[in-house]
Amino acid sequence: MEFDKKSLLKLGKLARISISEDKLNNLSKDLNSILEFVDQLKEIKTDQVDPTSNSLNQKLEVRDDKVDNKNSTEDVLENAPEKEMDFFVVPKVIE
Amino acid sequence: MIEGWNLVIGIEIHAQVNSKSKLFSSSPTDFGSKPNSQVSLIDAAMPGMLPVINKFCIEQAVKSGIGLNAKINKKSIFDRKNYFYQDLPQGYQISQYKDPIVGEGFVEIETENGQKKIGVERLHLEQDAGKSLHDQDPNFTFVDLNRSGIALMEIVSKPDMNSPEEAVEYVRKVRSILRYLGTCDGNMEQGSLRADVNVSVNKPGNELGTRCEIKNLNSFKFIHAAIVYEAKRQIKLIEQGESVNQETRLFNTQSGETRSMRSKEDAHDYRYFPDPDLLPLTLDDDWIKGLQDSIPELPDQIKERFINEYSLSSYDANIIVSDKATSEYFEDVVKNRNPKLVTTWVTGELFSILNKKNLIIEDSPITSKQLGELVDNIENGKISNRQAKEVLEEMCESGKGASEIIDEKGLSQISDENEIESLVDNVLNSNLENVKKYKNGKDKLFGFFVGEAMKLSKGKANPKIVNDLIKKKLSQ
Repeated sequence: MEFDKKSLLKLGKLARISISEDKLNNLSKDLNSILEFVDQLKEIKTDQVDPTSNSLNQKLEVRDDKVDNKNSTEDVLENAPEKEMDFFVVPKVIE
Repeated sequence: MIEGWNLVIGIEIHAQVNSKSKLFSSSPTDFGSKPNSQVSLIDAAMPGMLPVINKFCIEQAVKSGIGLNAKINKKSIFDRKNYFYQDLPQGYQISQYKDPIVGEGFVEIETENGQKKIGVERLHLEQDAGKSLHDQDPNFTFVDLNRSGIALMEIVSKPDMNSPEEAVEYVRKVRSILRYLGTCDGNMEQGSLRADVNVSVNKPGNELGTRCEIKNLNSFKFIHAAIVYEAKRQIKLIEQGESVNQETRLFNTQSGETRSMRSKEDAHDYRYFPDPDLLPLTLDDDWIKGLQDSIPELPDQIKERFINEYSLSSYDANIIVSDKATSEYFEDVVKNRNPKLVTTWVTGELFSILNKKNLIIEDSPITSKQLGELVDNIENGKISNRQAKEVLEEMCESGKGASEIIDEKGLSQISDENEIESLVDNVLNSNLENVKKYKNGKDKLFGFFVGEAMKLSKGKANPKIVNDLIKKKLSQ
């Protein structure tokens, strides 16, 4: 799979990241080397293996429906660049 | 709905699981708490946090699937649905894509042409997002993550509905089933149950039209209004020779109009893939069987039973079973009493009081026991229907019991024949002139005699006995 500039710009848009023209070439080179590695992995035959299966036959861990509100509002907001009245504050978003 | 046009509707219902804690974290799910007070580091998507699934939520999804007559999938997979938005801190929603926990099923609804089966495509578990407030500040959006990570069941219908009425009936029915099961409280005002509606129009015989999706409708009224508006909008476009764009639209509850939310060119590309933090969910047969055995009687079965056991009409039975609390209330009152009388008092007088006071039956000022006492007094002839209405009003005001009010007000109906006979004799003897006219053919005077006798008894005489006695005396 080849990662062209158009796909890269689309990916940037989906992630709300602006990508300047001078970075396009290097970025697509980087991404393509990752994809090449994935292509290499794809050579392994996996059509007989279920996705997310594992050799230990582990099952999904479950928990009981018990409330434990251990993190405070301060903890959660601690790293927020902007906050007000206990809300996260972000640039205006209008759909 | 509109002459010469077909309407095709499919609905996605988002129903919040009635759990105390979230789907993948132990944060509480209470409605209306202070902003960001129910958020764990998992819900805020801090690095290194791992999701652990809530067993209760799995059970509720399977129970709901059974209630929707649907196939339970013994293996299902959680996927990441990737999109970038400020109220989604993970950058993806954990949802189920190709392998949902519940597969195909159906519900039956009542339409003007009788019963109709509406197909259910699937039910899957997913996380709710946080909440954005756009009106707090002119330049900024405020984000509250309390809802982030709460468990939702997304129930996807097949495009089997053909009118706004059918769409509303379908949502009503699904809501009712979930409430009977106790898997979702169905509170639409608080957003515990909301609907996305897909609408398209086409000419009969032609292929299906392009559909638009109207997001986040949280009342039956809005579902109906949005579909009517959207169908008319699409028909107008087509008739003008334009075409309908496939897009997501928002319903404005003030103006009753829909407007475009996202256009096709920036359509989302969700890049689903299995969540590497979560192994596939597997269910075993015995466990599913156990849940099947725990399913309570559901509205369709109760309706059937009410019709057989209490000879209710299909119409009355439908009204009573549409809400779990109402059918429980009705069943409390009807035990050992006249079903017809009880139906009239529950769906008539009680409902009108609840409507007037804008109350749900759970908060009824009249308990089922109190209404039963009132019905007893009607059944044994102590008070007339008319008097009973007065008593019921007084019961609402004072909270006193029916018998107590009847005694206090001296409302007790006179049913003693001898007593009434002397009243009737009294009336006839003091109106000899009118008795003569009646016997000469002036039938209309019958009502006059009854009226006089009732007046004399201060309204307490049993009207049936008064009628019978006057008829008997005048024919002598």
